[in-house]
Amino acid sequence: MVRNKKILLIIIAILALIPIITKSKAVLNAVILLLIFATLGEAWNLITGFAGQTSFGHAAFFGIGAYTSAVLYYRYGITPWIGLILGGIIAAAVAAIMSYPCFKLKGHYFAVATLAVAEIIKQIFVSWKYVEGATGISIPIIPRSSDFIKRLFYLQFNEKTPWVYICLVMFTAVIILCSYLENSKMGYYLKAIRESHEVAESIGINPTNYKLYTMLISAFISAICGSIYAQYILYIDPFMMFSLDVSMKIVLLTVLGGVGNVFGPIIGASIFIPLSEFTRIKLGGSGTGVDLMIYGLLIILITCYQPKGVIGIVQKLAERSKKANIGGEGKIEATSGN
Amino acid sequence: MKLKLALLLVAIMLITSVMAGCSSGQPAASETTTEGEQSANVEKVTIGAILPLTGGAAATGVKLRAAMEVAQEIINGEYADLANVPLAKEAGLPNLGNAKLEIIFADHQGNPEMAKSEAERLIEQGVVGLVGAYQSSATKPASQSAEQYGIPFVAGSSSSAALTERGLNYFVRIAPNDDIETAMFFDYLIHLNEKYNAGIKTVAVAYIDNEFGVHAKEMVEKWVKEKYGALGFELVGVVPYAVDVTNVDTEVQQIKSLNADAIFHASYIADITMFVNKYKEFNVNPKAVLNYCGGFQDTQFVINLGNDGDYFAGGAAFSADKLADMPELAVINEMYKAKTGADLDGPALEEFASVMVLAEAINIAGSLDGDAIMDVIKKTEFKAPYFATGAIKFDSKGQNEILASYVVQTQNKEYRAVYPVDIATVEPVVPIPEWSKR
Repeated sequence: MVRNKKILLIIIAILALIPIITKSKAVLNAVILLLIFATLGEAWNLITGFAGQTSFGHAAFFGIGAYTSAVLYYRYGITPWIGLILGGIIAAAVAAIMSYPCFKLKGHYFAVATLAVAEIIKQIFVSWKYVEGATGISIPIIPRSSDFIKRLFYLQFNEKTPWVYICLVMFTAVIILCSYLENSKMGYYLKAIRESHEVAESIGINPTNYKLYTMLISAFISAICGSIYAQYILYIDPFMMFSLDVSMKIVLLTVLGGVGNVFGPIIGASIFIPLSEFTRIKLGGSGTGVDLMIYGLLIILITCYQPKGVIGIVQKLAERSKKANIGGEGKIEATSGN
Repeated sequence: MKLKLALLLVAIMLITSVMAGCSSGQPAASETTTEGEQSANVEKVTIGAILPLTGGAAATGVKLRAAMEVAQEIINGEYADLANVPLAKEAGLPNLGNAKLEIIFADHQGNPEMAKSEAERLIEQGVVGLVGAYQSSATKPASQSAEQYGIPFVAGSSSSAALTERGLNYFVRIAPNDDIETAMFFDYLIHLNEKYNAGIKTVAVAYIDNEFGVHAKEMVEKWVKEKYGALGFELVGVVPYAVDVTNVDTEVQQIKSLNADAIFHASYIADITMFVNKYKEFNVNPKAVLNYCGGFQDTQFVINLGNDGDYFAGGAAFSADKLADMPELAVINEMYKAKTGADLDGPALEEFASVMVLAEAINIAGSLDGDAIMDVIKKTEFKAPYFATGAIKFDSKGQNEILASYVVQTQNKEYRAVYPVDIATVEPVVPIPEWSKR
């Protein structure tokens, strides 16, 4: 069951229309990155927003997904579609191994542990020759004359439009899944665990199991995003895939949009990604760093004045509108009574 | 109510997306030219330059931009004193109706994802070729995009050997790669042993833990295993350090305990400055220190360290003491100095060369077509009087096969050419005097 179906449909419709309205590579690039990071935000939101376990290490799953599909294609010519699924499974397995001991930790200890795990995985990839170590993998490019079927098979397009739709399908599937989970029995269990571990246990919920299931789903989704990202950028190395920057970007955009709400990540990404692209494109070439200053200032303003994220502003507006409607209806009734 | 929420979301997405796209702008003048008109009456030819203009390498990026701007001025102006430099004598590109060269600069912040985005944005704006992107990790995705769209990419100073091992058809690189540079370092050590009886046998590597550093370390391991181990050299240890390192006490003590005769450094300016200060503090006295293209080559090195920076060495395409023998380089250096207040350095000269090569190829091709330009780049030996070796020619993989750099050593706060012998202007100082005797 998806609440606010209309909103979801409108968002998807708008995003689907963008490639028809414009062919600008800059706009479409922003939309593709927006969708990838919004999906990552949804994955992170599951474990942090719903289950209350703050993870600063989601870059690890993102990177594992990217590396699985890239290595399979680079070494054996296997289509990234298989790599994408396999990457998800490997990331989920890693999440299981990592989470079991980490879930014994609470609060910021868990966050620090996830950060450390991501850093360990990064170091493994830096010194792992089979995955080209620090040099990274440049994904082999198929000939420019290749037809669409071949391009789809190898996930390489000369146009941005197919990427927008692939990312949109991924995002839609994930938001529906998250929405379903949010309103399912498991969603309520997770919220109970988030609010009070002890109370949840006292009513018969096994917090470790439910947190683990959520982590597996979250890691699987993050890995799929990683695979798509690697095929899109056509180059990966451990420093860009497993960096703290990636983990922080996921956290920041979700917090900016609103934690614990399925629309939070898409709102956050809709502001965060295009703003980052816009400020860099418009002002970056000057080399003065003005773009970064403006970008930073906007983030400070939003976080200072609306700590609940943009979804908080939306909710306030909605409440105000609801009150106004009730007031309006009352007035009519009063008038008619006279 | 729900509709209002949806409208707000719509507004957020539309405004931000349109804002991002609006400045991707109209196509440059060169793009408006149809293929049939390409060889004639072009008012300007636009190329794109992707550099780290903000972020950790911003200081270097800004310098590289200045070097590229000098190349642009030379191409668009008339410089009788640079008669030997291609395109300097006449204004613009003569074979394209003296069209002016325009460079659109873009900032990748040292981020590979942004490098790709910027490359595609510039391609969309109609650039006929790309130059940059300094950091190899940014050059890789940017040149992958250029390959997809059939746009020539001339990298100036990116040094990762992997760049020219990808089988790309639209990519070439001017700087020597880490692989070539490592072999040059060992040959220099052999030269020091043979001519100066330096007795250098053991080598250690100190490297930054990123693509640049790890790759340099791997090249040392490779060359010791394949060739120089048999010639008596031994790699006694490697010391990595974090990208965001703020204190190198531990690393320097590790290096001291290795007691290597020579240290190879793959470091940026901030790190190498810290290392040299700590070498002095901990009294680390190797016989030779050799630096890959990075921080040492930045003239800020001698400004930061003064005489403490003396006797360090590294590969560079530029040293000020060559200016007396190379009048064209002296003029270029003056133009660069007027912009930055400092002498050129190796990476700046290589990025300067990347613009010159791309512009000359466009001129020879007499066309804005990527394939025609690339054909010229692959077949031509470009005259480069600003390099000590005088020319640039690319091999089948896109690597400049005429070594653009030589070994320089800092002596009395100046970079002096010390190897190969035919390029050297002074004798190298070996072994490096101990700190207590300086």
